[in-house]
Amino acid sequence: MPEKTGLVFFPAFDWAISPTHPEREERLLYTKDQLFEEGIMDLPEICEYKARLATFKDIARVHFCVPEIRAQVTEAHLIAAGGTLVLADALMNKEIKNGFALVRPPGHHAMRVVHGNRGFCNINNEAIMIEYLRKKYGIRKIAIVDTDVHHGDGTQDIYYHDPDVLFISFHQDGRTLYPGSGFTHELGGPRAFGATINIPLPPGTTDEGIHYVLEELVLPVLDDFQPELIVNSAGQDNHYTDPLANMRFTAQGYARLNARLKPDLAVLEGGYAIESALPYVNTGIVLAMAGLDYSYVREPDYRKENFIQPPEKMVYIKELVEYLKEIWKNRTSLGQQKQFHEGDFYEQKRSIYYDTDHIREQQWEQIRLCKTCPGYQMITSRGMYPYGTTRTIFAVAIPWQACLNCQEEARGYYQERIKNPQGLDFVYLQDKPHDIYYQFFVEKDCEIQIE
Amino acid sequence: MIIGIDVGGTYTDAVLLKQEQVLEKIKTPTIPDDLLTSLLKALEPLLKAAKNNQIDRIVFSTTLITNLIATGNIDPVALVLIPGPGLNPNTYNFNIPDTFILSGAIDYRGREIEPLKEKEIKECLEAVRARGIKRVAIVGKFSQRNKNHEEAVASYFKQHAPEIQTVMGHQVSGRLNFPRRVVTSLLTLATQNRFQEFYSQIQKVLAQRGITAPIYILKADGGTLPFAQAFLKPVETIFSGPAASTLGVLALTPSGQTSVVLDIGGTTTDLALILSGKPLLASRGARINNHLTHVRAFATKSVALGGDSVVQVGPDSSLEILPQRAGAAYCLGGPQPTPTDAMRVAGLITIGDEKRAREAMNKLGSKLKLPAEQTAALIIELMVKRIAREINEMFLAWEEEPAYRIWELLQKQKIRPQNVVGIGASAPAILPLLGKEMGCRALVPPYAEVANAIGAALAKVTLRLTFHFDTERNFYFIEETGVQEKLGVKGQLSLADAEEMAFKWLRQEGEKLGIPPGEEPELVYSEMFNMVRGWTTTGRLYDICVQFPPGILEDWLERREQNA
Repeated sequence: MPEKTGLVFFPAFDWAISPTHPEREERLLYTKDQLFEEGIMDLPEICEYKARLATFKDIARVHFCVPEIRAQVTEAHLIAAGGTLVLADALMNKEIKNGFALVRPPGHHAMRVVHGNRGFCNINNEAIMIEYLRKKYGIRKIAIVDTDVHHGDGTQDIYYHDPDVLFISFHQDGRTLYPGSGFTHELGGPRAFGATINIPLPPGTTDEGIHYVLEELVLPVLDDFQPELIVNSAGQDNHYTDPLANMRFTAQGYARLNARLKPDLAVLEGGYAIESALPYVNTGIVLAMAGLDYSYVREPDYRKENFIQPPEKMVYIKELVEYLKEIWKNRTSLGQQKQFHEGDFYEQKRSIYYDTDHIREQQWEQIRLCKTCPGYQMITSRGMYPYGTTRTIFAVAIPWQACLNCQEEARGYYQERIKNPQGLDFVYLQDKPHDIYYQFFVEKDCEIQIE
Repeated sequence: MIIGIDVGGTYTDAVLLKQEQVLEKIKTPTIPDDLLTSLLKALEPLLKAAKNNQIDRIVFSTTLITNLIATGNIDPVALVLIPGPGLNPNTYNFNIPDTFILSGAIDYRGREIEPLKEKEIKECLEAVRARGIKRVAIVGKFSQRNKNHEEAVASYFKQHAPEIQTVMGHQVSGRLNFPRRVVTSLLTLATQNRFQEFYSQIQKVLAQRGITAPIYILKADGGTLPFAQAFLKPVETIFSGPAASTLGVLALTPSGQTSVVLDIGGTTTDLALILSGKPLLASRGARINNHLTHVRAFATKSVALGGDSVVQVGPDSSLEILPQRAGAAYCLGGPQPTPTDAMRVAGLITIGDEKRAREAMNKLGSKLKLPAEQTAALIIELMVKRIAREINEMFLAWEEEPAYRIWELLQKQKIRPQNVVGIGASAPAILPLLGKEMGCRALVPPYAEVANAIGAALAKVTLRLTFHFDTERNFYFIEETGVQEKLGVKGQLSLADAEEMAFKWLRQEGEKLGIPPGEEPELVYSEMFNMVRGWTTTGRLYDICVQFPPGILEDWLERREQNA
């Protein structure tokens, strides 16, 4: 059994969205100071790895980037995503017992279709890591627990129709915080009902509330689901000092959460209290994952008496947990009742807003309702950019579980559209069973295979 | 004229240089436990050769500190730690029974987040006294960013117990990493007095011989330090041997190239790298006696493979070279077959008894049903392949070192050496084969056998200063010197101003060490972080590092170029 906890620390000290943006060079500077001063990297329980660059193919396994991948990613994005892959390899090669990718830029708001940056994210680091693990090591069932204060809407979108990826997100209630989603009724698509669980918590929730959710709901659900791997989407903005949110979580709370959750891989997401939270929270998480004593980690202004959960909030949280437990228990029958739709396709329309880049997107999604597999997806998406330009794409995604019939059908739809691409700028095929990814450029009348 | 002396574990090497010429070289066995005599034995003939010409400088590289630490022959020290929040301080294993932990904490910006408790300091001093402890290292987490707590404790000790010798962590090293600072502080205090004794003895014997030349000592990072100053941080002189040989190679081979330096000895082969003419330093401090420190050192690797390693036929009927030495080579009267015997049979060397070497090869060859020549060739091939693999791994390890910036990560491309440069007894035999194996030029420079003494003689005085400016808190500190001062600048200090300040400091400090004013310093790195609170910039952090880098005296290089 490997004994070490793997760390990839890539603070990207030379990358920022803009000089005063929360996602800037300084973000992990004090975390570096704290981790290095503690001597964390020298501990026998820790093994530090160097990040590497993810390939465009790693990204195409997850995303449809508009107009193309190189327009959406910088080198920093490739390194952040690649950092997670280094740990994935180390874990699967049994060099480490678990790993934490302390990388930026973050990724959990990046959806399957990428027109631009949403919530500081362009590409989804966790999803890129998970698809890599599935492709390279044949892992089937994975659970993602998103502990960022914001709803992990990008990760949810990517796995909404995948019954083999359980996505659990707890976050500050979407009625009070970006991105305004992540409600209890978002439970997964017709073939993956119950594999998405959202736990919207009231602002001001403390360690007590979050640990209640963890013990009473998250851990029992994980126990039922029996994933091969648990991934923590480790945002740190539930912290009581975070400037962008309103929760009351502490460094001790985060450390204990990781000690209990025991994620195989954790990937840093948000967290913008770069001085008052991050150095302490990150130290706490690293120690907890390495099985070391984290009881000495505390914020300078931490006073126990300031973190008592008001009883009425606790009542609300308990009711919420009860409600979701019922759904989880009955997910199969509920899923059948809610067949959503009769016929070959389930369809949904929605609009998506890109806060960072001010892009509006209209999406029409079709899911093939197949009796033998989770079906394939077809997405028509129009991005409306500032200054009035638009781009429209059609994309076909074949999941790796797709049956041969569905595979055939889906490839047929792609071929049909590249022959007849009126009204489109780009056509995509994400063929996971073959691990081949195509993008067709309508104007240039040319198809490329993404490598 | 310059004298360089490297007192190694086995041999003491010494050279007398005049301009680009080696006037005299000495190689004499080191007398165990008597460095002074060893040193004098090498020095006397050089002084004789120098006649009455003026000696401009003498540089020593010694194993004094290495030996003291390895044999545990150091002074006992107690630890007073101010760790603050973070890792449980008991997680660190310093192996010091007299460890005291005090309340109080400083954060990463140097702000006090928890005050000291005077009562605890008092009790601590009482306990220290009760146990009869004479030396105390006082080290706080983030003390390099605010020395107040360390100073408060030290001055309390000084006031109430002036007989107790103290050292403060921020004076020893300002680099991040508290446990390494603790170990380095411990070793500093534990070796200071012994080092001072050694220094006095040397001064005395040199004075008796009428020598007034400045004396320098070589450090692990390839720089020299005036002997008198080394007293402050004697531990930095540890592992100067590999630094000496690397600098020697630097002095004896074409400049600006990428080379592997191999010192192939009897028991081990020591490797070091020179990248584009610059010796590669380890990214983190040296490991001393299994403890990690802040001591800057060349990146070196010691492979347990040498001319005297034992060769045997393994269980699967193949030859294997064991990682140990059983004595001298068989051809030199030793007990077991060795690579040296193989080299003798292959005609690569001429030392030792050829008949015995052949006997050794036959002993192995009979089990393999091979004649002696083929057995010898196989052993040599095995040795060459193994060294080549170790070299490649060393380059790989360098490539795999973590990088925290995009440019850093992208620029570390695959680099492979142009030269393999060998010194040590087996080098001339092995090097040509190794060069062929690795596809690069093999060099055995002239005077290879005393390259380390030449390296010591010609090493420059180095100085590195790493600054951390915090314009919001209006202060700056220097990692290497423990200086922590107010900025005292009106308005916001610009990056250019900060760099100028750094160079000014470097020149001033350099002058104190005797670095000639004409010497050009270099900017190692310079980084700026905007500190944004809310949505406005409230200050800047600058991390600036400047140095007079390690290297070879310019005169020597110039004259060598002219002669070439």
